[in-house]
Amino acid sequence: MYQWSEEQEMVRTMVRDFIDKEVRPVREDLEFGDLPPYDLLRKMFATFGMSDMQRESFRKTIEREKAIAAGEEVAEKTRGPRDPNSIAFTMIPIIELCRVCPGMVTAMGVSMGLTAASIMSKGTIEQKERWALDLLTMDKVGAWAITEPNSGSDAFGSMASTARRDGDEYVLNGQKTFITNGPHADTIVFICKLDEGNPPAERTVVQFVLDAGMPGLEQTKPLRKMGIHSSPTGQLFLDDVRVGADRLLGGSEEAYKGSAGKEASKATFSMERTGVAAMALGIVDRCLELCLAYANDRVLFGQPIGQFQLIQLKIAKMEVARLNLQNMVFRHIEMGAAGEPVTYAEASATKLYAAQAAAEVANEAVQLFGGNGYMAEYEVEQLARDAKVLQIYAGTDEIQVVAVAKALLRDAASAAN
Amino acid sequence: MNVVVCVKQIPDPADPGALDPNTKTLKRDGKLILDESDSYGVEMALQLVDAAGGGEVTLVSMAPNGETAGLRTALAMGAAKAVLVSDDALQGSDALGTSKVLAKAIERAGQADLILTATESSDGYTGTVPEQIAELLSLPSVTFAKSITVDGSSVKVQRQTESGYDDVECPLPAVVSVTAGVVEPRYPSFKGIMAAKSKPVDQVGLGDLGVDAGSVGWAGAGQEIVEIATAEARAASTVVEDDGEAFQKIVDMLAELKIV
Repeated sequence: MYQWSEEQEMVRTMVRDFIDKEVRPVREDLEFGDLPPYDLLRKMFATFGMSDMQRESFRKTIEREKAIAAGEEVAEKTRGPRDPNSIAFTMIPIIELCRVCPGMVTAMGVSMGLTAASIMSKGTIEQKERWALDLLTMDKVGAWAITEPNSGSDAFGSMASTARRDGDEYVLNGQKTFITNGPHADTIVFICKLDEGNPPAERTVVQFVLDAGMPGLEQTKPLRKMGIHSSPTGQLFLDDVRVGADRLLGGSEEAYKGSAGKEASKATFSMERTGVAAMALGIVDRCLELCLAYANDRVLFGQPIGQFQLIQLKIAKMEVARLNLQNMVFRHIEMGAAGEPVTYAEASATKLYAAQAAAEVANEAVQLFGGNGYMAEYEVEQLARDAKVLQIYAGTDEIQVVAVAKALLRDAASAAN
Repeated sequence: MNVVVCVKQIPDPADPGALDPNTKTLKRDGKLILDESDSYGVEMALQLVDAAGGGEVTLVSMAPNGETAGLRTALAMGAAKAVLVSDDALQGSDALGTSKVLAKAIERAGQADLILTATESSDGYTGTVPEQIAELLSLPSVTFAKSITVDGSSVKVQRQTESGYDDVECPLPAVVSVTAGVVEPRYPSFKGIMAAKSKPVDQVGLGDLGVDAGSVGWAGAGQEIVEIATAEARAASTVVEDDGEAFQKIVDMLAELKIV
């Protein structure tokens, strides 16, 4: 795959047109007015039939799982080959939204990606029917709560949130922060450790599903932050929240024996990291587009600034980044279509490059625009603030470095033995 | 209820093509897109078929080089199939030549209860094709529809006028031209875009339609473009100095232009 197909191009054109008409005019409200992004996302889903596609896919998945549970013979599920459009059609809206409003992708990705994916990978059939479908269609908003004030990159090691058995129920306590969609979430996947009186390092990581409004659960108003203002971020406080086993993802503690809890979260990280390449592509693509127009129009010292070699260097580097990111997205689509899983190391390497490229390009775009670029009126100012988060969330650059290097060293050591 | 919609595929206005200095016509050798003014007719047709509870929308188009990109957009919106007339002999066709071909293509598309067109194309602007098609097919014609309701064997149209609209009615089948902007054309769904690829496009030449090549194209054109010239730059605007009564001067100017 070296370019978008005719159908993919049509999807891109239509989605871009929709975003230009529906999102771009309210960009200021999303940026500075605390306008939540969810109604816009729902409208996009309904317009392009994405909700219906999710419903259909969900129906097939549940039917299959019910048949397996009933002991019926079901054809083995294979990873591929798949229609590349099924992957491309999820990448294209991410890219196009990031050209205007990367925060909307964060809000969407955490809700229908992370939160719904956690329930779909770990939950029972009943739990999927109860919570996942509404998240996949964006009818409801989801939050995935792992980060805590004293954890962050050391998410599991320093996790202090707990679940304590109390008869047939569990009592949840803890504090979560930097939670995307936290202020508006209807459904929250809460990740914590099962406190059996054992030392924290030995506790099993478990996940519960919470609903907004449960006694003892507090969702704060949005936190002020540097960028992605269109993605509301908040804190969660749990004070003796009582839940039944029906809210324990997987339905029993057995599902979390050994390292299964951590592995489930790790699989979710991989999916999140490859999505960042598409986000970065959208940011870089828009920055380059804006810079090319500006470099041709802006006249200094009697000629368009695009005639100066230092400006040309910036533009050339932006194009190199754009091509690399586009190739990464194409590779992701190709691999998915072929049924080839992306390794954790590759997902991390992709995320590391994509985040750094987006942040560097957006910063250079501000530089190319000079004083204008520093003004909020010019889009590059927002994109530069938004791009920075890609180096921090979904695993910092530093965490990605460790993930890539450790995997390579481990593989090399295995090969040597 | 079966509705035929005439759609034109034109060079993308966002990336305007050039005029051919020899033929003095627009070059159409690149990728063409669905003329936005036709998207309203497609939307109207889809709504009418939905309201009727059955039937389908068929597209009819004439374009060079077997171009289907614009048709695929309308098929993705929900049209069921298309007839595309593409023939080298059609180059240079004037409005009447185009109408002769479209009329035959409409007949080929099957029994239609209603034929919709735009009021005019966005690249030719003759605005005469709908009525010529109606004449050639011996059908009643209503122009500038802002609303269409099918009631049994007749069609009721709110026909836009300068001061409002006229209620008109005529028997079916009929040719109705749809005013741009009166409905909101839907975006094709992702599923619709994927389905469009496999929807049938009946690509035909003049011979298939029984149209004499001498009656269309350059050979049959009754009109000739004798000259093309650069449009005059817009004249300088009128500046009204505000001496406290500027508002009145502006109101008077607007009144003179019959805007207020």
